[in-house]
Amino acid sequence: MESLTRAMAIGFELTLLMAFLYSFLLGFKLTLFDLGLNPKYKRFVRVSLMIIGGMILSFLIAHLLTFYPRPLLPSPRGG
Amino acid sequence: MDSLTFEFWNIQNLYLKEIFFPILIGLLLLLPALIVFFFFSFWKLHVTVWKLGKPQERTAQMGIRFKTLLITTLAHLRFWNEKYPATMHFLIFWGILLIFLGKIVRLFSFLVELTIPPPSLFLYASFISEMGGLWLFTGGVLAVIRRYLLKPKRLETHIDRTLIFVWGFGILISGYLIKGYRIAVAGSPPLPNWFSWAPVSYPLSRLFLIFPNDLLNELFIWHRIFIHALPVLVLFLYLTLSDSPLKHLFLTPLNIIFRPLEPKGALPLIPDFEEAELYGANDLFHFTWKQLLDLEACTNCGRCQDHCPAYLSEKPLSPRKVIQDLHALLQQKRRAWLWNPSSLTKEEVSLIESLSEEVIWACTFCLNCYEQCPVFISAYDKIIEMRRYLVLMESRYPREIREVFRNLERMGNPWGAERHLRADWAAELGVKTLYEDPDVELLYFPGCFKGYDDRSKKVAISMVRILQRAGVKFGILGREEGCCGDPARRIGNEYLYKKIAEKNIEILNQYHVKKILTTCPHCFNTLKTEYPQFGGIFEVIHQTEYLDQLIREKRLSPKRVNPIKVTYHDSCYLSRSHGIYKEPRKILTALPGLKLEEMERARLRSFCCGGGGGRMWMEEHLGKRINEMRVDQALALDPHVIATACPYCLTMLEDGLKAKGKEVSVKVYDIAELLEKALEEDPKNS
Repeated sequence: MESLTRAMAIGFELTLLMAFLYSFLLGFKLTLFDLGLNPKYKRFVRVSLMIIGGMILSFLIAHLLTFYPRPLLPSPRGG
Repeated sequence: MDSLTFEFWNIQNLYLKEIFFPILIGLLLLLPALIVFFFFSFWKLHVTVWKLGKPQERTAQMGIRFKTLLITTLAHLRFWNEKYPATMHFLIFWGILLIFLGKIVRLFSFLVELTIPPPSLFLYASFISEMGGLWLFTGGVLAVIRRYLLKPKRLETHIDRTLIFVWGFGILISGYLIKGYRIAVAGSPPLPNWFSWAPVSYPLSRLFLIFPNDLLNELFIWHRIFIHALPVLVLFLYLTLSDSPLKHLFLTPLNIIFRPLEPKGALPLIPDFEEAELYGANDLFHFTWKQLLDLEACTNCGRCQDHCPAYLSEKPLSPRKVIQDLHALLQQKRRAWLWNPSSLTKEEVSLIESLSEEVIWACTFCLNCYEQCPVFISAYDKIIEMRRYLVLMESRYPREIREVFRNLERMGNPWGAERHLRADWAAELGVKTLYEDPDVELLYFPGCFKGYDDRSKKVAISMVRILQRAGVKFGILGREEGCCGDPARRIGNEYLYKKIAEKNIEILNQYHVKKILTTCPHCFNTLKTEYPQFGGIFEVIHQTEYLDQLIREKRLSPKRVNPIKVTYHDSCYLSRSHGIYKEPRKILTALPGLKLEEMERARLRSFCCGGGGGRMWMEEHLGKRINEMRVDQALALDPHVIATACPYCLTMLEDGLKAKGKEVSVKVYDIAELLEKALEEDPKNS
């Protein structure tokens, strides 16, 4: 039960982090071309950002799996 | 404040300062730096480019400008004719505003070191933020449904739109999460009715109680910084530097503030006409700075396109596309300039070649694009500049127009009919010219159609009979009357228009004319709103306004007419240009026995007859015929009569009926004709 709850929490965190990672990287790419970067670099930028995104995502997964707190179950605290 | 509440408000700040103090300092420095960077970029990327446009005065009457900004944005005044998108945008707009309001209260408390703020104030701030979030979420969901499921034809979905949704929803969800953590840190609710003040975050906070308290604090701080504050700041940076649709957050308010306050129907004057070396526009920087701002402020919503008669009749013109294509050219120039500053003013892009001449000649100047735009952007003011360039700089215009120009110049009317025939219709009615008797209450200015077109002459005769019946002392100019110049101006021949207008003004001043009555909305618009640009200031009144006034003053008493079903077609130059919707309807409803039914596109949303903007004198080779489309809209009501108050519309609608083979069963009448019949003694005449 505890590990399932933790896995769900990590999954949720990862979803949110991936949404922001996607937003940051895509926003960065769009801004580069909006600022006049030659469209011939489109493929290069896309591949570079995919690699960077993949690396950051791997780090986040590793980080969360290692450091994400373990829940206290059952939790009869006030509420 | 009890110890629990004290802990709730303070413990997070202790954590924040002790553990993440360097990050906090970083954020506090980053925010002002970002704001400075935003203004710097705004100046470099936008203002520098706008300044290359022609000058245009747009700072007078700032009070009215700001008042309109507040009213139109807060109440979304120009949105509500389309309920779904209006509700969606209203929720998003007010949601963001409420969230900011709640945040400002909290920020303010931090700055003045109110570490133990008055709880009641914060409870309200909390509630407002929570509600704002819910509104934003609901509006966002409606937007996603519309864009990705309903997919209206006019919406263009690029990846930058999707990005905004992902980013925005992420920030919204993380906002609720961190508030949930903050509440959970305190363990038990700091207030007994906390749920009422935080209806979303409080239930969320109960889920987080599965974590130990110290870890909860850590999670809270990490989330606050890395999945809430940081994405907000990066989004702000993205908004600052990119061409994202989010730019409308700061560009559309500017566009509303600097919108034209001149009469809507008036085309702009070419300043210093005699000395000018360039007429019209064929390059972006031939436009004024405000027209360049228009291009950037467009959100590509497509409302203009949905109401454009040219687009709907399958012509190559879409006002949205005109603005977006011009915007793309501007972006292209800006991008080149960023890498090579000297490239901004040279390497002219031919706008006309980019858009095509067919697009430029398809506009009917119906003003629907401007009227439907939530942020006061029009396509027609750019189109007229390109027409002026084509006509005055390159003598390029549709073949059939050549004769119209020649006729206007030589004979003072578009058909080239003899001047002395102009007032023939009035000979038997005992109407005097101002030359014969200048002592009149008003000048009746019938216009070219009434002078030369047999069908329209009947309208002029009806109008004269009504005026005589009401005992109005009036006169006409007779053969001294010339075309008002509307066709020349809208086709782009400003030189010819100027000559015509100056000559007419001279004649009108010669007779000391004060008040002019017109039956043609084109003459009405030109005399009322465009002649003042040349010093011709007169009181100009349209027949519908005047007839309504005569009925109200009991100078006219319509009698019962045979029961007929009538639908009224609004002339663009009367309705959208001058807001005259009520008067014609009041006249029609004053005719006993007449039943008025409205078409689906009526009043502000009325559909053009296809004759405006000089289109009356051009062939309609492409797509469907606009007049036939309008006739179809009228025939859907199965009326006996289509009423109008414009000779252009009268002609176009009659032609449309003939094309449909309905000219016997359905008639087109001018309002003056219907009223005159109702004034006759014998009701059988109606």
